[in-house]
Amino acid sequence: MSMGQGAPATPSASVGLAKSVGSTQELVDRAVAEVSKVLLGKEPQIRLALCCLFARGHLLIEDLPGMGKTTLSHALADVLGLAWKRVQFTSDLMPADVLGVSIFDSANASFHFHEGPIFTQLLLADEINRATPRTQSALLEAMAEGQVTVEGETRPLPDPFFVIATQNPVHQSGTYPLPESQLDRFLMRIELGYPHPRAEREMFLAKHSAAGRATQPAQRIDRNQLDTLRAAVAQVQTSESLLDYLQRLVAHTRQSPEFEMGLSPRGALALLNCARTWAVMNNRGHVVPEDIQVVLPSVAAHRLVPSSEYAGDGAALVELLQRNVDVIGS
Amino acid sequence: MNIQEHIPRNALVWIVICLFAVVAPHATRLPLWVVGVYLLAVTWRIMVYRGRWSFPGRAVKFAITASCFAGIALTYQTLITLEATVALLLLAFALKLVELVRRKDAYVLLFLGYFVCLTEFLFSQDILVTLFSLVNVVLITTALIALHQPGQQRFSKEPLRLAGVMVAQALPLMLVMFFLFPRFGPLWTVPIKSGAAKTGMSDFMKPGDVARLSQSDDVAFRVKFEGEIPPQAELYWRGLVLSRLKEGTWSAIGYYQVPDEERRPVAVDTQGVEPLNYTVIMEPSHQNWLYGLHYAQSSSGSVVHAPDYRLFSMVPVEAELMYSASSWTQAPVEVELSSWRRKAETRLPADDDPRTRQLARTMHGEAASDRAFVDSVLAMFNEQPFVYTLNPGFLAATNAMDDFVFVSRRGFCEHYAYAFVLMMRAAGLPSRVVAGYQGGEINPVNKTVIVHQFDAHAWAEVWLEGEGWVRVDPTAAVSPLRIEAGLEQAMQGDGSFLSESPLSPARYRSIPLVNQFRLRYDALTYRWQSWVVGFDNKRQIELLHDFFGEISARMFILALFGTALLVLLPVAWSLLRGRSMQVSREHDKYYRAFCARLEALGLQRQSGETPGQYALRVKQALPASSATIDNITRLYNELAYADSALSSADRQDGLRRLRQAARQFRPNRRAIANH
Repeated sequence: MSMGQGAPATPSASVGLAKSVGSTQELVDRAVAEVSKVLLGKEPQIRLALCCLFARGHLLIEDLPGMGKTTLSHALADVLGLAWKRVQFTSDLMPADVLGVSIFDSANASFHFHEGPIFTQLLLADEINRATPRTQSALLEAMAEGQVTVEGETRPLPDPFFVIATQNPVHQSGTYPLPESQLDRFLMRIELGYPHPRAEREMFLAKHSAAGRATQPAQRIDRNQLDTLRAAVAQVQTSESLLDYLQRLVAHTRQSPEFEMGLSPRGALALLNCARTWAVMNNRGHVVPEDIQVVLPSVAAHRLVPSSEYAGDGAALVELLQRNVDVIGS
Repeated sequence: MNIQEHIPRNALVWIVICLFAVVAPHATRLPLWVVGVYLLAVTWRIMVYRGRWSFPGRAVKFAITASCFAGIALTYQTLITLEATVALLLLAFALKLVELVRRKDAYVLLFLGYFVCLTEFLFSQDILVTLFSLVNVVLITTALIALHQPGQQRFSKEPLRLAGVMVAQALPLMLVMFFLFPRFGPLWTVPIKSGAAKTGMSDFMKPGDVARLSQSDDVAFRVKFEGEIPPQAELYWRGLVLSRLKEGTWSAIGYYQVPDEERRPVAVDTQGVEPLNYTVIMEPSHQNWLYGLHYAQSSSGSVVHAPDYRLFSMVPVEAELMYSASSWTQAPVEVELSSWRRKAETRLPADDDPRTRQLARTMHGEAASDRAFVDSVLAMFNEQPFVYTLNPGFLAATNAMDDFVFVSRRGFCEHYAYAFVLMMRAAGLPSRVVAGYQGGEINPVNKTVIVHQFDAHAWAEVWLEGEGWVRVDPTAAVSPLRIEAGLEQAMQGDGSFLSESPLSPARYRSIPLVNQFRLRYDALTYRWQSWVVGFDNKRQIELLHDFFGEISARMFILALFGTALLVLLPVAWSLLRGRSMQVSREHDKYYRAFCARLEALGLQRQSGETPGQYALRVKQALPASSATIDNITRLYNELAYADSALSSADRQDGLRRLRQAARQFRPNRRAIANH
């Protein structure tokens, strides 16, 4: 490889991606652009959601009602050409309502299993914290194992299986906030936030409200491309210097007094996995510290617990982490 | 109140432990009610912690403080002696406990605790006291650490371990500072007047004084001889020369009562005589006089020579004092007596003790020479039924010596010295009482002579024509054992030796194990006093001289900082090593050099900033160097994060280029774009 003055900016992204998927970056850009047609001005969140999906994780969106959580999941399913279902979680929702139930079929004189909404490629679990812990854990168990066991019989879930759960901020009454151990099942947690005034203005101008609601985003990534992309993640290389940085980050969460609980090994692996995926999405065959920094807030914020003395929340902790841990080793 | 302001339970427990530990060495000196105040303060604070009682109000606090002042004033009769002020400090230390509300109050208390630790050294600088103070320092540090561990609701020994490690780490530095930090004289002093009646010589003597001293086993001083230790019977430690008799009391002639021309000692011919060289370490006596053998000279700076051949110090001995001296025990002193001195040394009150005086004149008339007269008086003490005893009983108020010589005939050394000098002066011979110590215990462990208070003694000096001042010990005539074997042997029969100190280890010298331990500990104390307590400016320079030869101010500073650095380097190294988790990588080194160049221009890289982000920011400020910055950043990124795609030759090549580029990178301050 060339290391001369005129070498391209990313000379080493050559792990075979370019041949099979065309340019990954371009592919992702097109998908993001397509989703952006229905969800205005939320490009970073869309990218993170895609990253989570490519990394075979599940996504938790935490925000107030009406911020476009459903729109985002809907559009993601369309762009990826996935079958999707939606379950609105309520306090009287039972596990069987999600997983499915065996019903006696009098015609055949046998029990017949009716698959629940979980048997789909993309499941939108709306307001997951309104359901009872029992139902929540049924879903989370299925998410972790990729299969459903009902009445002793194990049924695998479809292969791309992706859950987008939404959650209202926990201080609302009548909710059962997810405990830390279950938050850990979600690879990423993102917030959508209020739209940018300009994007909101555009929305008001009805340029999109009438037509946009009707236009379904077109499929931009097919099944093959998705598989190739996912396979490429495993090929991404992580240098010693980068792993040094990752370990410094993790060590900081475990040693600093601001952190009640440090990042678990599972959390650290999730961080690395997302950073690799982000590298692939940017056409790179190796991970750079920026990759880690980009995914850090959404991967780490919900796994970090501030100590009782520290006034900030998880997001503030991530900020501390980014600021205090040196990228360059000594 | 913010949670960080709370005092954690664990810290409170440690603070209470500190409180008692710090007061412990003072306990024997404090009145009992002070201990009561301590218990009250601790109980109060604990009840406050449990929520049963509340913090004292302003009026209550004022009342307690005022009554403590009153208590001290009543107990000590004053507020300004050393004991009283220290007791006040200790009371304040205890009472502060009930004022502990916030963390900052605890800081005040604990820092005061370090100071209180120090006050113990005003009373004693013993090894055990020093060791105990070290323990106290560890305890106070422990409490400070516990104060910084909020939320610790259970008693934990964890901070103790950390404090131990911290203090242990500080010890090497302490040693460096101790041996090398320049010793200044005190910049200011306060008169330390200890209120306690310290046992020791006073500058006057009346019958009974020395006997009282003999009840104490305190050490007066220790002596180390350069060569052989002379026989015990030769060890007469002259401290005071008492030339004036008034109303039954012998006292010394004050410095200003001596005429100007007499204030310097008459030169002594020491030609051809080998001196005895020795070093004395004195315990604090709060007096000025020092001790030496017959005709002693000292080269130590603070020692002054008196016209009656005593040694004394210009300032009272308030702390252990070390001085070296040389003695010519056989040298005749003051062979020519001045008329003033002759008058001073023969003066007697007009009309005391007529029978004794008459006896002296008769005996002098019968004697062939002055020398023969002296011998006949000694023979009288020896042959007549005189008794040497610690309990001589009371003598008549008037004409006490007549009572002693002719009636009771029971006395201790001061009685014999008094009677002897009285008789000499009555016969017209210049003579005087000398007070000091006689003998001493030889410690076989380190060959020092330990002189205790019970070795206190009084004897006489007579001036004989052609011989100068001659030492005469009338006690030796009565009880030769006292001089040859010491007081304990002389008093063996009647059990009066140290009868008032049943716990004194010196009393149990006959038990080998106790005695062995006592002597070993004394040897340790000697070492401690000569190396630690007595380590002054002079010894410091001697020590440095041994190591570095000639000492200049520069050498001194170099030695101080060099050694401190030597001690601190391993600590710094281990701290830094613990910090960085990974080994240093080559490309990081070059990149850091590049960052350092930019930092010099005020463009510091933030620790969370990636090379790419940094490059963007820096390029805005230095547009002229954009290409170089990009090149270095790209080289670094590839070497650091894409290294497995590189062949080892590429890698070497890349490293070489990065190093070169970083070295040649010379951003110009003037080139910084104004934004």
